[in-house]
Amino acid sequence: MVAEAQGATLGQLRVWIDSFHTLVAEQKAYLTELDSAIGDADHGINMSRGMNAVAAKLDVSSPSTIGELFKTVGMTLVSTVGGASGPLYGTFFLRIGTSAGDVEELDGSGLGTALQAALDGVLARGKAQVGDKTMIDALTSAVEAFRGAVQGGSSIADAASQAQDAAERGRDSTTPLTARKGRASYLGERSIGHLDPGAVSTALLFTALAKALA
Amino acid sequence: MSHSRRLAQAAVDLALEMVAGNEPPVAIAAGAGDDVIGTDATRIAEEIATVASEKGVLVLMDLGSAILSSELALELLEDPDTIVRLSSAPFFEGLQAAVVLASAGASLDEVERAAVSSLDAKSTQLRHPPPQDEPPTDGPDTGPAPEPDASADATLVNQDGLHARPAAAVVATVAGFDAQVTIANLHSGAGPVSAGSPTGLATLDARGSDPVRIEASGPDAQAAVNAVLALIANGFGEEQAAGPAVEADASSDVGTDGGSPKAAPAQTARQTQPRRSARQASAGPVGVSPGRVVGPALVLPPPATEPDPNRVLATQDRQAAADRADAAADSVGVALREQASHVAAEARDILEAIAAIAGDPALRASLRSGILDRGRTPERSVWEAIASIRAQYEAGGSRLAARVADLVAVRDRIMAQLAGQRAPGIPDQNNPYVLVATDLAPTDTAVLDPARCLAIVTREGGPTSHTAILARSLGIPAVVAAEEAGTIRNGAMLLVDGATGEVITDPSDQQRADVAAGDHAHAAPGPGATADGHRIPLLANLGSGDDLAAAHASGAEGVGLFRTEFCFLDRAEAPSVDEQVTAYRRVFDGFAGQKVVIRTLDAGADKPLPFVTASGEPNPALGVRGYRTALTHPELLDDQLNAIAQAADLASAQVWVMAPMISTIGEASAFASQCAEHGLTQVGVMIETPAAALMAKEILATVDFVSLGTNDLAQYTMAADRTLGSLALFNDPWQPSVLRLVRAVCTAGTAVGKPVGVCGEAAADPLLATVLVGLGVTSLSMTPRARSAVSNRLRTVSSIDICRSVAEAACAAATPVAARSAAAAGMPRG
Repeated sequence: MVAEAQGATLGQLRVWIDSFHTLVAEQKAYLTELDSAIGDADHGINMSRGMNAVAAKLDVSSPSTIGELFKTVGMTLVSTVGGASGPLYGTFFLRIGTSAGDVEELDGSGLGTALQAALDGVLARGKAQVGDKTMIDALTSAVEAFRGAVQGGSSIADAASQAQDAAERGRDSTTPLTARKGRASYLGERSIGHLDPGAVSTALLFTALAKALA
Repeated sequence: MSHSRRLAQAAVDLALEMVAGNEPPVAIAAGAGDDVIGTDATRIAEEIATVASEKGVLVLMDLGSAILSSELALELLEDPDTIVRLSSAPFFEGLQAAVVLASAGASLDEVERAAVSSLDAKSTQLRHPPPQDEPPTDGPDTGPAPEPDASADATLVNQDGLHARPAAAVVATVAGFDAQVTIANLHSGAGPVSAGSPTGLATLDARGSDPVRIEASGPDAQAAVNAVLALIANGFGEEQAAGPAVEADASSDVGTDGGSPKAAPAQTARQTQPRRSARQASAGPVGVSPGRVVGPALVLPPPATEPDPNRVLATQDRQAAADRADAAADSVGVALREQASHVAAEARDILEAIAAIAGDPALRASLRSGILDRGRTPERSVWEAIASIRAQYEAGGSRLAARVADLVAVRDRIMAQLAGQRAPGIPDQNNPYVLVATDLAPTDTAVLDPARCLAIVTREGGPTSHTAILARSLGIPAVVAAEEAGTIRNGAMLLVDGATGEVITDPSDQQRADVAAGDHAHAAPGPGATADGHRIPLLANLGSGDDLAAAHASGAEGVGLFRTEFCFLDRAEAPSVDEQVTAYRRVFDGFAGQKVVIRTLDAGADKPLPFVTASGEPNPALGVRGYRTALTHPELLDDQLNAIAQAADLASAQVWVMAPMISTIGEASAFASQCAEHGLTQVGVMIETPAAALMAKEILATVDFVSLGTNDLAQYTMAADRTLGSLALFNDPWQPSVLRLVRAVCTAGTAVGKPVGVCGEAAADPLLATVLVGLGVTSLSMTPRARSAVSNRLRTVSSIDICRSVAEAACAAATPVAARSAAAAGMPRG
């Protein structure tokens, strides 16, 4: 009997957000340290503040659809993060919410479509491209890997796990790059040799997704 | 909207003072969450709604995430029909202008325009004279320099100092601060120049170990100075020279700083080396990257022609012309950066350095003032602005002069942009070609496709030019200073030899077949020998285990020169013995059972090492280099010999050891004894100085073999700096004086029956290799790329007697050209 769920339920996606919250809290100091090398040393603090607010909000609001869940997450991040990650991660989750709509479960292809919409939203918001040493480097590989795996017939859990691997590769690819966006771009070539903090937190996002859908 | 409510409130208060009694609706969206400095899109959307009317809303924002959040806010508006305009206007000035216009009932368009142009008044009022780029040599100071808000002195720790890449890093760094930053070279007295100007920084000619002074004025002065100090202390991420990173004070109080910078140079400037003109006539083609190929010429059009100097623009046309020039320079910078993002690291650095020149404020200021003040056309003004920087580069010594091509590349690109023409450069070309040009712009060489470009021939340029450096790094054969390049027609068939400098138009079938045979031999390289079986081992020069594959592929019968510098480069201190053992073993194991001649550390001159060589020697080629560093750092040589002995014990290669740059018998015998103490059995020295060549017999009495380094032997025989492009012709191993010294060494070797090898570039020239064999050289070591051509040539020689006769003919010649002709004439046809 094939008992394995073929979709992601509202509950699982809620676990995604909770796991991301935990990971960001655990890695807060590391993210901030990375950001201090090439940015303004607030990425860990900002993300952690935003995700704490998200957790508090979800505790009291209990969204009943996937669309509502991610709109709550997105709006909370937008109004609490403070730095550029606010509008960027905020856009990411808002787009997922819009794409998903009022449903309680998404199949692999539906989640893939939502992730693609989220990626497109972040691209439009930040105007960064792959290779600019930003979260886009991790996000693009992750979304491509996820959708590719789903189209290739993988289970949603496998797809999430492949997306995690791809996000980590994308994250690692930022080390030798020169930053072209955000404050790190002031450093020009001096940004070479450092991981991009946004790419690192994005990799955490997909670690959390893989965990939630495993 | 702002990151900070206090900032936003103060700005609004000040703006509303201007329109007391008639305030337009203004709302503030500032901060994120509770008291967090940051931006919040939801708050912005809410505040927009509070002031929205049918006339629309103009959003002024500070920076960074403010922009992203404002854009997102548009999506979050309750009423999607709200008219909202996000303005790129400066936050503070823009707010003032917008409030005034809005209060007067202006339309949204008018309000926005006023906001966007609100900096004009300030810019006009404060328009600074162009940054001062001339070295302060002539004439009295025009007045006291303004006192900077922050200053610090530091010593450049990276070897190459403020060359193009670090300069670009400085420019990028100071651009992030609200401060005017200048840098002066306290060694030469050059400067101060604007730290925002890459061309200005280049004129400082600040090298490793030079002290510099950084000064800054403006709100971010101290932060900007600190950022530049950090770059310097970190050696711009490059190889470091010895010495303390940052010395002296980093004071924010100029009063403790020793007075005005402009008063100082007269006293502190040391005697600088005489400057050399870089515009000496070049004579004769010089091969700068080996390889022998045949292919059709692709002739690049010559550089831009000089625009009419007599045309003067009408006053009312000048502003538009200046804007057009600025826009053209901007587009060129953007295009170059775009191009840079698609190429490999080395090429990217070059393209980005050039892009920085296009954006150089000093260049831009002079470009604009040529148009606005003197009525030059944009083209003419570009021409003149670059010419003036070029003159400074050319007065700045050979290193800077070699970068003139950067300037020409920028100039020609801006001029093409102004004329609406395609950027100059190499057209897309699917078929293989030999690139022929007056001189290649670095932008051209950087995007060369080595798979298509068979060879490069330029009319100008020298061995240290970009063309030469990049051609070597890409493995593309190249010949520079080839006068005939000017007359080659597009599509003509060319034979190019990047080792000898030969360029033959319409080569004969025989010559083409020779080249093809060389390629063929490359596929199945046999042992080196003449046709009658006189064996000449053809060995490989290599720099590390990474070169093993190429050496094996070439059929090398061993290693004739294993350079050990790679172990020592890019480090602050010497590698450990164990580390060296590992590195050496890799090469020894790669040539198990065969000969590997390992050379002890050859630091100094063109290969300085921070922990070994002294900086600031007036003549580093004649300084403490090669074996001479063993006197100043005996422990380094001892460790190295220890490591070589250990690695040799662990491997089965026949390990021979030699020392570089020997000039006396005493040095040779001291080295031999030291090697003996480490149990090394095959010990030799390099013959690179005329002194050693003349004493070869006595030197060979103390060692087991010698190896001729023909590059340095030519340099020291001809007293001509190898690194100077203008002296390239002196550094020709075909110089009869050099050949005669080689003969003297071979005579000594033959007399005592000890091996005499050659490991300089001369061995890679097939014809010269034949001559060397005739002189009595017993093995030739070369870059693996050249081996097949040399092997092929030797095999066409029917007997060793022919080698001897061409060698005598070459030695008897009076000039290098005659020597080569004599040798060629003595060779069998085919």
